[in-house]
Amino acid sequence: MTSTRDLVKDERDQYAFHDDIVYLAQTKRGLTRDTVEEISAFKGEPDWMLQFRLRAYEHFLKRPMPTWGGALNTIDLDKIVYYRKPSEREEKSWDDVPEKIKATFEKLGIPEAERKFLAGVGAQYDSEVVYHSVREELTKIGVVFMGTDQAMKEHPEIFRKYFGTIVPPEDNKFAALNSAVWSGGSFVYVPKGVEVPLPLQAYFRINGENTGQFERTLIVVDEGAKVHYIEGCTAPIYATDSLHAAVVEVVALAGSKVRYTTIQNWSNDVYNLVTKRAHAHARSTVEWVDANTGSRLTMKSPASYLVGEGASAEVISVAVAGKGQHQDTGAKAVHLAPNTTSRIVSKSVSKDGGRATYRGQLKVAPGATGVTASVRCDALMLDDQSRSDTYPYIDIAEDDTTMTHEATVGKVSAEQVFYLMSRGLTENEATNLIVQGFLEVFTKELPMEYAIEFNRLVKLEMEGSLG
Amino acid sequence: MTAAIARPARAPRRAPDELPFTFLTEELVTAISDRHNEPAWMREDRLAAFARFAAMPVEPNRLYTPYVDLRAASLDGALPYVTAQDLAAVPAPRAHGADDPTAGLLEINGEAVTIATISAEAAAAGVRLVTLGQLAMTDHAFFKTLIADDPVLPADDTFAWMGRAAWTQGVALVVPAGVHVDRPIVIRWVVGAPRTQIARTVIVLGEGATASVVEELVAGGGLVPGAQALLSLTTEVRLAADAKLGLSSLQETGPDQIIFQQRTARIGEGADLRWALAQLGARLVRSRVDNVLAGDRSTVEQTEIVFGSDDQLHDLTSYTRHVGRDTTGHLLSKGVLLDKARSYLKGMISIEKTAIGTDSYLGEFGMNLSKLARAVAIPSLEIDQPDCRRAAHSSSVGPIDESQLFYLESRGITPDDARKFIVLGFLEPVVARVPLEDARERLREGLEAKWAAGLVSGGVATAA
Repeated sequence: MTSTRDLVKDERDQYAFHDDIVYLAQTKRGLTRDTVEEISAFKGEPDWMLQFRLRAYEHFLKRPMPTWGGALNTIDLDKIVYYRKPSEREEKSWDDVPEKIKATFEKLGIPEAERKFLAGVGAQYDSEVVYHSVREELTKIGVVFMGTDQAMKEHPEIFRKYFGTIVPPEDNKFAALNSAVWSGGSFVYVPKGVEVPLPLQAYFRINGENTGQFERTLIVVDEGAKVHYIEGCTAPIYATDSLHAAVVEVVALAGSKVRYTTIQNWSNDVYNLVTKRAHAHARSTVEWVDANTGSRLTMKSPASYLVGEGASAEVISVAVAGKGQHQDTGAKAVHLAPNTTSRIVSKSVSKDGGRATYRGQLKVAPGATGVTASVRCDALMLDDQSRSDTYPYIDIAEDDTTMTHEATVGKVSAEQVFYLMSRGLTENEATNLIVQGFLEVFTKELPMEYAIEFNRLVKLEMEGSLG
Repeated sequence: MTAAIARPARAPRRAPDELPFTFLTEELVTAISDRHNEPAWMREDRLAAFARFAAMPVEPNRLYTPYVDLRAASLDGALPYVTAQDLAAVPAPRAHGADDPTAGLLEINGEAVTIATISAEAAAAGVRLVTLGQLAMTDHAFFKTLIADDPVLPADDTFAWMGRAAWTQGVALVVPAGVHVDRPIVIRWVVGAPRTQIARTVIVLGEGATASVVEELVAGGGLVPGAQALLSLTTEVRLAADAKLGLSSLQETGPDQIIFQQRTARIGEGADLRWALAQLGARLVRSRVDNVLAGDRSTVEQTEIVFGSDDQLHDLTSYTRHVGRDTTGHLLSKGVLLDKARSYLKGMISIEKTAIGTDSYLGEFGMNLSKLARAVAIPSLEIDQPDCRRAAHSSSVGPIDESQLFYLESRGITPDDARKFIVLGFLEPVVARVPLEDARERLREGLEAKWAAGLVSGGVATAA
């Protein structure tokens, strides 16, 4: 028993790190019009982007703080440093990456992962992409995978055509904030008919106390193309609150297929307020595979707008809410075209006073005939200090829609634990195994390396509660 | 891509805190109290309730605010009754025949009580079916307990506070402990004249008592086409330990009727409540049912149907709070929508920390039979106690099941009849639960008539 716990403690230490980095440029704390202009100037952006940022900033000021969902009142927006740049230029090869940053990635296991199978690595260290390597063959087949800032300069036509069209700055307060101060993130363009053979992946990290992270990701998948994008997050543990407000825009053009996988494991002081949305054009497929184990509060419901006939969307969302955590997650499917389909599967685990909330929306607009949609939510509560909520919104305006929704809430059954214990497992191990089984619908969708890492994260979370 | 469907222009959406009437003021509340010569405590109760009402938004639950829609209502012409008539004034008792299928009947038409009968048997057992005014005259202390000292109204229901502030008419049904009322009791509200009726019903069952109640909301004379009327009806149910109550409600009011209905039940230990609610009529219905399973082993079963046509909107919410141990909640809402009808079915199950061993289920099922119909389902769960037998909800919206149609047609039933049978069968769960044969038949006829009208108007999309 003790040995298991020590082992777990070691694993935990592995993720709880913080390096002292010399920041080369950063803005003052707090957000003013000057901050926004300063960020744009730092980056040497075209005027349209500055105007976009200022429009977003104006809207951010006007928009009230959301009062639904989690408690946001402890976020002090004036304490946040909205932009910091850890190194001057985009690195082209691993050798050029500063040693300090490399050491951090070493702990995250990036070089190893890269050697194994990665198509490309976009590693976000604070507010800038510092390292990118794209496999030669990807460049050859025309796939663009780079930092969003770089893409704005190198691929201006396609960038400007789609940027801010899926999630406009006026969408919500935190999308407005992101639009005003965004920095970093990934840009992916997959040309017509190209299938990217390996997952593209980006590691994200927040470093620096009170650093907000406002990355912006734009993925454009042209007709008939196919891509799988993975983001995984780890963050060092700090005492004060950090804010992460990202915007992810995905454009799936006709006949394309996009999968976006997230493993969110921010440290338990981070507010993770993310807007993720995809437009699925005719006959395209959009899949969100979304796991949330970290952060203090996550409010995120990846959305699929089915805008073209025959498009389909699938969301697999899992959340683990431990002590002091609130996972307000779910999914949205908005059917705007005929013969579109969507399937949402959500699994949540709450324990040690944590709160897991499913919040979802399913909408079938007038004119969207022949829609088939299903929503399934299951929640597991490990103790009676915890809380589980389900808030599905279902709004159907067509007579030939076929929609089903089911939700259940339960606990780990004593019989199952007893059975596993009779086979020689400890109670901890048994519960852990049952939870992993409950989340398997998600885990089985991951590449193997990620599945292993995810199961380890769940184990860490479980150990924290049951030890 | 189907061409965009032309929709009729609607009035601009109202802000949630804006009500479709302006007459409800402190002056009105004071005037009502004055006209009825009320004691000080009652006036204070009304004014306190009014203050609460005035401070609240129309929909206090933020989950549901996007679906507040009172645009169909325009009630400034529907002046409230501030009757000077003595609330206790009732018609001379009518003979209640021994073969009468009911145990009692109270009919209120507009502001007047038009029928009040009770069987000799029930009266002898101490059952009281009276207006609140009568109760105030005959048993003031009990009346005060019921309506002011120990109210069961939920604190966050805006319209319940409105009812408590401005009610002018009311019904009390009191069944003493251990009494079994074997025949149904009918409470009938005849509405439709372009006025505002704010009323309150209180039903109290003592320990081990049993009763069944049929509530009828029907259109009477005096309807003025195009002129809207409002009925705001608050129903408070208290069930003592092991009491059993069946409460059916048939709403068949006219096309210009606006209805706000607030129902709350506090269910004691081992007690059992069965709602069977049918919504057919009215232009706009905003209904809320609160079930509080306070006692251990208490049970509630709520079956609700909506048959909407034309441009009706039925906005139905139910809250089920599990507080005691081993409580059971089974809620089923079904809607069939024709023409441009809309139905919002919203339900919330809350399982509190104390509610160990809960079994709770909520089902919301919709059948859209026309292109322009719209169904919204929001079945929610809030759970603080995982040690439950079951905590689940499910919902579905779909067209008529093709395989059922095929089966019926293969038996020689015409397509139109087959569709009718499937739709009426879908709504049957409530019909079957109505205890009074007359009422049951009338409900069946009402449903069939709506179906027939839908076929004529083209409100039902023809089978593809």
